[in-house]
Amino acid sequence: MKAWSRLMQACGAASATILGLVTMAVVWDVLARNLGARSLPWIVEATEYALPLATFLAAPWLMFRYEHVRLDLLATKLSKPALMRVERVTAAICMVVSLVIAWYAVRVILDTRQIGALVIKSLIFPEWWLFLPVPVCFVLLALECARRLVFPPPPTGSISDAGLPVPGEAADAVESAR
Amino acid sequence: MMPWWETLGLLFGILTLLLLVGLPAGFAFLAINLVGAVIFLGGEAGLMQVVRNGVASITNFSLTPIPFFVLMGEVLFHTGVAMKAIDAFDNLIWRMPGRLSVIAVVAGTVFSAISGSTVATTALLGGLLLPQMLARGYSPRMAMGPIMAIGGVDMLIPPSALTVLLGSLAGISISGLLVAGVVPGILLSVLFLGWIVGRCILDPTLAPTFEHQQVSGWARWRPLVVYVTPLVFIFVIVILSMTAGWATPTESAAVGAAATVLVAAAYRAMTVRALAKSLMGTAAISGVILFIIIGATTFSQILSFSGATNGLVGLVQGAGLSQWVVLLGMMGILLVLGCFVDQVSMMLITLPFFMPLVQHYGWDPLWFGVMFLICMQLGLLTPPFGMLLFTMRSVAPKEIPTSEIFAAVMPYVLFGIVMLFLVMLFPGLATCLPSVLLGK
Repeated sequence: MKAWSRLMQACGAASATILGLVTMAVVWDVLARNLGARSLPWIVEATEYALPLATFLAAPWLMFRYEHVRLDLLATKLSKPALMRVERVTAAICMVVSLVIAWYAVRVILDTRQIGALVIKSLIFPEWWLFLPVPVCFVLLALECARRLVFPPPPTGSISDAGLPVPGEAADAVESAR
Repeated sequence: MMPWWETLGLLFGILTLLLLVGLPAGFAFLAINLVGAVIFLGGEAGLMQVVRNGVASITNFSLTPIPFFVLMGEVLFHTGVAMKAIDAFDNLIWRMPGRLSVIAVVAGTVFSAISGSTVATTALLGGLLLPQMLARGYSPRMAMGPIMAIGGVDMLIPPSALTVLLGSLAGISISGLLVAGVVPGILLSVLFLGWIVGRCILDPTLAPTFEHQQVSGWARWRPLVVYVTPLVFIFVIVILSMTAGWATPTESAAVGAAATVLVAAAYRAMTVRALAKSLMGTAAISGVILFIIIGATTFSQILSFSGATNGLVGLVQGAGLSQWVVLLGMMGILLVLGCFVDQVSMMLITLPFFMPLVQHYGWDPLWFGVMFLICMQLGLLTPPFGMLLFTMRSVAPKEIPTSEIFAAVMPYVLFGIVMLFLVMLFPGLATCLPSVLLGK
């Protein structure tokens, strides 16, 4: 369990690092262009690819922290045992969705690899590289959902007592304000 | 092939059901996409298209400002620079009726101009000012209302992550839309101030005055010069680099984020810990938004391939309705949706139908975009699922009932609706500034 938690944290940290690096790269590009230094044409393109990578890395970590936006209409209406059953159902649906997407992502990777498709812009590379993070992300999501099927979360897991998770920034901002 | 209305009913029926049982919005869209891909996009090939579209939806340079704008707000809050700015206003505003509520609105407006993240603004002001207000005997409604309301204005005043997303998904100029929100956003803040001061003059018990340690001369103005001017300067850099053509909207967002980090460093507030927390917060908020977007392209393709988009749009076009009726209907749908679903889902659900109608009636996309933003802002404030209501719930004392939080925000929701009508009747409120600054 501890190892899983660490892996999820690492996913979040990797996503945050990518976003930090992208910020620096774009600022460098703007400064270089406007100050007459050598700008690197591939930076814009690399930034474009960094966004899905950061998103796919963050998704399992956000799931682990119950931060994906959801409507929890039932949280205030149902009894705790009933709510646990509903949580199990949603975890099962998310797991199935994740597994189907992971499977078809592997199919897409194998297909594009087989036909040797290339992305040809400033950077040239095999197209299947673009899809690599997808199965990794969705397999991790499926595992996290499976964990919830076995150990459903406490119904009041989020900081909002009505059940709609508010992104962690709220708690963090309040904490730093105090 | 099913008739389009059955398809529409089926898709939205399943989507509603999935959202109601508490499936995360991103998964609800992906699930509906899988079902839709099997039925309308050719089975296996369609399922593979879901994956390709998912990657393509977020491999988009125009979406990159989202994390940059969020980072600006996160740095501002995690380094404590935001609190210094609140102190600066605290020194400046003295004998004003409803003083602390006024400070909330003024500080909130300035934060809106730096932060791309609405929830953070509300959480910070709520966590900081609300306990002070309640301790000073402010009525809970007078204390909580302005804090929530000003968090909503954040969406209109650039930089705003959701404005970028709306521009990208709707195919509206992102820089134009960012600039177009400025005038309605500032007007709303002024309306809020007028309401607060007016109410407190008529009924001083709402916000009892209290002895405040007053400082004068340079000591009074110094914090404003030292802690607020640089924040305004960052806002000016972002807008200027965009309008002067030095950088694209995406690049100016990155420049703004870097400038915020530098300003925080200049105050010696930029620790490694604060930077790490800011970046993690950025990854979380951007991740939440972008994960929902993974399903965007396929969802609109399914609506289009199944004939649902053309069917519904054709029905509206052929009904011989006045364009005002159609516009009011669209805004009505957004306001109702806003009570129940999050802002990103609102865009995904409505834009495939709304944008063809905008084109059909020849409306200015910037004008329409600003009205869309006002409706989304109201969605943050309307019960039962307004995100800012939940944020306030999480920072307000337990003794304050949730119904009181709902009541506190109501006057400001009405002001938002008034602003919606003002922009509807006077499009210049939205379109003037972009045409002056950007020639759009």
